[in-house]
Amino acid sequence: MKETMLLDEAGVASAVGRVVESIAGQGRDLPLVLVGIHTRGVPVARRVAAALGNAVAGIGTLDISLYRDDLDSRGTLPVLRGSDIPAPVDGARVVLCDDVLFTGRTIRAALDGITALGRPARVELAVLVDRGGRELPIQADHVGHAVETNASQRVRVRLSETDEGDCVMLYEVGPEGDS
Amino acid sequence: MKVPPRKKDLIDIRSLSREEVEYLLESAKPFKELFSQSVKKVPTLQGKSVLTLFYEPSTRTRSSFEIAAKRLSADVTNFAVSTSAVVKGESILDTVDTLQAMRVDYVIVRHQASGVPGLIARHTRASVLNAGDGWHAHPTQALLDAFTLREVHPETAGRRVLIVGDLQHSRVARSTSRIFHMLGAEVAALGPGTLVPSHRPEWLRTFSNFEAAFAWRPDVIYLLRVQRERQHDQFFPSVHEYHHQYGVTAERLNRIRGEGIHIMHPGPVNRGVELVDAVMDYERTLINRQVENGIAVRMAVLYWLKPGTEERHG
Amino acid sequence: MAEPSITWIQGATVVDSEGSREADVLFCDGKVRAVGAVGAMGDVPEGAAVVDGRGRILMPGLFDMNAHLREPGREDKEDMATGSAAAVQGGVTGLLAMPNTDPPVDSAGMVQSVTDLAAAKSPIPIFPAGCLTKSRAGAEMAAIGEMACLGVKLLTDDPSPVEDAQLLRRLMEYARGFDLIVASHATTPALVRGGSVNEGEVGYFLGLGGMPSMAEEIAIFRDVAIARHTGCRLHIQHVSSARGLEVIRRAKEEGIPVTCEATPLHLIFDDSAVCGYDTRFKMDPPLRAVEDREALLEGLRDGTVDVIASNHAPHSVFEKNTDFASAPFGASLFDTLLPALHHHVLAEGGLSLEILVEKFCLAPRRLLGLPEPGFREEAAVDAVLFNPADGTEVSQTFLKSRGCNNPFLGQTLQGRVEGVWLGEKRLLG
Repeated sequence: MKETMLLDEAGVASAVGRVVESIAGQGRDLPLVLVGIHTRGVPVARRVAAALGNAVAGIGTLDISLYRDDLDSRGTLPVLRGSDIPAPVDGARVVLCDDVLFTGRTIRAALDGITALGRPARVELAVLVDRGGRELPIQADHVGHAVETNASQRVRVRLSETDEGDCVMLYEVGPEGDS
Repeated sequence: MKVPPRKKDLIDIRSLSREEVEYLLESAKPFKELFSQSVKKVPTLQGKSVLTLFYEPSTRTRSSFEIAAKRLSADVTNFAVSTSAVVKGESILDTVDTLQAMRVDYVIVRHQASGVPGLIARHTRASVLNAGDGWHAHPTQALLDAFTLREVHPETAGRRVLIVGDLQHSRVARSTSRIFHMLGAEVAALGPGTLVPSHRPEWLRTFSNFEAAFAWRPDVIYLLRVQRERQHDQFFPSVHEYHHQYGVTAERLNRIRGEGIHIMHPGPVNRGVELVDAVMDYERTLINRQVENGIAVRMAVLYWLKPGTEERHG
Repeated sequence: MAEPSITWIQGATVVDSEGSREADVLFCDGKVRAVGAVGAMGDVPEGAAVVDGRGRILMPGLFDMNAHLREPGREDKEDMATGSAAAVQGGVTGLLAMPNTDPPVDSAGMVQSVTDLAAAKSPIPIFPAGCLTKSRAGAEMAAIGEMACLGVKLLTDDPSPVEDAQLLRRLMEYARGFDLIVASHATTPALVRGGSVNEGEVGYFLGLGGMPSMAEEIAIFRDVAIARHTGCRLHIQHVSSARGLEVIRRAKEEGIPVTCEATPLHLIFDDSAVCGYDTRFKMDPPLRAVEDREALLEGLRDGTVDVIASNHAPHSVFEKNTDFASAPFGASLFDTLLPALHHHVLAEGGLSLEILVEKFCLAPRRLLGLPEPGFREEAAVDAVLFNPADGTEVSQTFLKSRGCNNPFLGQTLQGRVEGVWLGEKRLLG
């Protein structure tokens, strides 16, 4: 299995920085709520929130398991973590945060999940890595790092909160690879 | 937490491992959280069909399953079973053939004869959920009872639950006592000698009167529904006597309140038989909470089960 | 004659009332011509069919004194032809047919028609048992004397008991005059009403109505007391409980003329077999606890249990493929009798071959006043050749009974019935 490092620790940090800058640069007169998508969207949201400081009205987590469309094909299920968004989303500027944007299916599910909780004034998407390969008409508003990949490759984001150290790896796994 | 592999059917508590029970109880929590959202529905079972097949009428259980399935976005159909036409068991498998042709994904079965949901499960690729069969089992009731117990006593090990009433003719008693035992609680039974089975698991201790049962210091008193018809079959002399000997009377409620004991009941309650009216207003009566939790637990079960992909033959 | 009427079975282990020994056996014209040490009988006679008996057991055919053949009335479940064919492949060469047919065998006319049907359809003798009461309704005496005149030896209302003790007393007083055996399905109806399994922990967790063993114990106690009082021969059918058996043991010690039988299923299984609600294991009396099963085996060894009888009760798929409580009682057993007993009871050391031959071949015939088959010169040929090393694959096509409810269906049982001879005919193999 061939592996290449796309971003090292410093690269991850500057990718987060680009996302933070982009969100701050498009500042609006709306309460800003950051929502991390389980699992690695959560530390992404936390890092972004830490950098934005007082500009953030609230930070939460979103579990999209129940909004997925692939229940049939699953022999084992994901652990349900539930969603926890302490700030009201009604009328807010909600920024969904995730680690990798690929087919767009996760985000589609996340949009269902967030709108079930209320009616935000607008919803934006922030991702650490956009690897292309969309299957749905979904685009990110805030991108840390963009890279063109193909279906036989896998992009793995590691963050120190959930893994050992920060980096983004690219693997060759063959045509049936996902993520 | 490890997620156990999905199963096709839920027939009884005995066939679940401790790990599976713990998973179902844990995963019911996010489902319960959905109830406080503005949209209580998730698209998880979109396009799936759920059929309720109740050979024995029960508005409450059927509604609970129906709400659970609908909150998961499944299509729910009630299969009207005229109870008179199916007194004989032979039409059960004919009905199964019909279900098979309808390509339903989940079948929720209640039947007055023990073993019928299992029989149906062996003959269909649909997932079968037992909603109560005969005196045998009522697994989702047991799960919702355990979930409710966990809410008031997160540490179930060593907790004492006193089950009061007709254990002999009760699937609830069989399933709920087993799940409590599985979770490490101590379980005891109180009731007239005619209604407490002589052949019972050795871990189920018994009391013959409330005084002795109170001295055991239970944390929860679980009242079972007592059918008035039982007095005609000479299981006890009269409903009046039953209430005085084994019911939660006003005096007993005072003691229960004083000791902070919780009260559970699978519903519907018989006022004046197993309890007095005032129990319904007692702040530690968990009956309505059981109903709410029932929906969450049934959603968790529907989510976990996986309908079979191949035709099965028994 | 194209068919050779001489059969020479070489080197088999021969078992009968004289015990067991290795021998060569010669059948000629329906009689045992010679029994001799292996290889000592000289040359094979001209035209003899030679059968390799090495490693096999040669024993008398089983006599099943408790069989429900369903004809007349329920030929959809079984008839004399399918029932007897199934019995033969299980190693049976004679049957006592229970009288609970439709109409029931409660008159001379019915005895005659059953006898005629059997003669026309069955290759093995089928003896009719008669009812104790008219239509088995438990109210009026059946035509006992008339039936006795046609050769009926045993009366029973099986699968019902005679609930009225006074009536049973009268029946036994009357039957005694004809030297008839009164056989009892010993149970107490009020205690088993609504029940479908043994009352015990298995029944508790399955949520099925129980049939406590005290229902049997009480009934046996009553029947024995009436036998003591009347002096009539009493036979307790398919005893199932240790306590019931204990009552019989004490009655025998006292000298009361009581005998009893046990079914192969009660010797093989206990109530844990019912755990999956498999209706093939629903029977009356029900399968009981492990201790009860062990007591029955002990009873066979110490002589308290006189007879093994199948209680073969075929049912249709339609009837058995339903919930446990609604399904009828009974298992279809004929096809697999000898292999099942060999596999589960003999091979596991629960019983010796000699006891099996005594209890299932000789004792039932003795009880009914029939000649005892054996491998002695001039005895009529009545023989089964059983190969304990081979297997019986119990598939749907193997079964000759119409009953769908054979508990061994789908299994391979250790041992196979290779040959059955009765008189001049070889019925199997």
